[in-house]
Amino acid sequence: MEAEFSAQVSARLGDRVAGIESFPGTLGRVRFRADAALDVFRSMRDDLAFDHLSMVGGIDWVDHREAFYVLWSDARRAYVILSADLPAQNPHIESATSIWPSANWHERETWELVDIHFDHHPDLRHLLMPDGYAFHPLLRSFKLHEPEELEVKTRNV
Amino acid sequence: MSEMWINMGPQHPMTHGLWNLRVHIDGEMVLDVDPEMGYLHRGIEKISEDRHYNEVVTLMDRCCYVAGLAWEHLYILSAEQALAIRPPERAEWIRMMSEEFQRLGSHIMWYAAFVQDIGLMSPFLYGMRDRDLILDLFQSYTGARMTYEYMRVGGVRNDLPNGFTDRARKVCDWLIDRFVEYDRLCLGSDIFHKRCDGLGTMSEKDCVAYGVTGPMLRSAGSRRDLRKDRPYSAYDRVEFDVATADGADVTARYLVRMEEMRQSVRIIRQALDWLDRHPGPVMAARVPRWLGAPYAPIGNEGYLLKRNYPKGLGLSAIEEPHGEAQAYTVNDGGEHPYRVKFRSPVFANISAAKKYLVGYRVADIPPIMGSVDVCVGECDR
Repeated sequence: MEAEFSAQVSARLGDRVAGIESFPGTLGRVRFRADAALDVFRSMRDDLAFDHLSMVGGIDWVDHREAFYVLWSDARRAYVILSADLPAQNPHIESATSIWPSANWHERETWELVDIHFDHHPDLRHLLMPDGYAFHPLLRSFKLHEPEELEVKTRNV
Repeated sequence: MSEMWINMGPQHPMTHGLWNLRVHIDGEMVLDVDPEMGYLHRGIEKISEDRHYNEVVTLMDRCCYVAGLAWEHLYILSAEQALAIRPPERAEWIRMMSEEFQRLGSHIMWYAAFVQDIGLMSPFLYGMRDRDLILDLFQSYTGARMTYEYMRVGGVRNDLPNGFTDRARKVCDWLIDRFVEYDRLCLGSDIFHKRCDGLGTMSEKDCVAYGVTGPMLRSAGSRRDLRKDRPYSAYDRVEFDVATADGADVTARYLVRMEEMRQSVRIIRQALDWLDRHPGPVMAARVPRWLGAPYAPIGNEGYLLKRNYPKGLGLSAIEEPHGEAQAYTVNDGGEHPYRVKFRSPVFANISAAKKYLVGYRVADIPPIMGSVDVCVGECDR
């Protein structure tokens, strides 16, 4: 099933996909080029029937960042993981909210915690951290046990 | 009357936790909502980066305080995949039984809180009484009533005590009779129907698009249940049905959860029979010692980092009481997980609040949000 799936991905997405690794328990981990993100998302939903976007997350690998997406297909009853490598300087990727509305909060969270900017996100503002919070806690450079100065803005309601 | 924004929360009986629902109203009508989360954000994903694999289990109990064992199970499954460790079969069955008891505990807690929201007081007392029996069972084999710290990479901490299965069967027998009373108290009440029927509807298509899972999705007619679709632990070896309803409203979610509780009892009974017949180890024989080591040897802090353990990734997904929960664990060969990312079903369910709240009245918000079953601990992490 995995081999069949990777053949379908290669046929549909060609060089927009950098490679497909096997990942036990899923159909595979598809590494795609970040500049082709929207094409990949659309093709995943419309051609390959991945109608659920379950999770968006980011990883700080210090020399680069990684954005990953976990998709579920009801038709295939299987997960697939999408993963894109982004540069450490100004990492950004197209938002998936226009394809899967469920990406909205996951991308807000990834932006504020891992500092990956999602282009054309409708509402990219703080979610778990207070407004005006200037740090991105899930970066490796953010050390625990060190005091920080924090200015919390209150919002006019 | 002019339009305005009001805050429901962070201190409001409807919230069941610490979060704020900003509501844009015109008179009694809800025009827009904007949930504000983060009041309970403790940085569990960040703290995990500084912990040994087994120490993260402690955080999982705090992640969701009404379904701690389910979250431990979720994390352990992904950590085991990332570390390439397999637990013995008996541990898998104990975990599955624990998760189902936890589902009962969580749903009974939901029942108690939700029904109180719509103005019925006595079901709350019945619910709390019956949940206590489940907590007693947890206490008898994990030693704690809320923060269990029971599961380990490679198995579970200890086996079940003598006579546990008989006590658990008695609790199951007691509960299955109480569910009839629960239904009579709610479905037989006009107040319940007047406050719940036809409220907070969300179609299956919308649920899928907005990432809504669990009882909310199944109340819209979907049969999606990870225990069936992608069985983990021993779920492929027990018989049960997926609870569904078609109403997609608050009443339908009530029906789905009540049926789920009956199915949980069914699973637990099969698991108890299996556990009676199959004694054995509950911990894998070859688990690396460093997994449990609280600290690196003094003066030799780099020692554990240099060990040559294969890298790996782990993705686990379980049908948690609130919906589809996922954990993604990155093992870079170090002694701590490099990154642990959790997907909370409540997080996704609240993010779709606009879809099921707009167009109803302010007084409808408590029953609708009650039917979502909010647990802020796992949402904010």
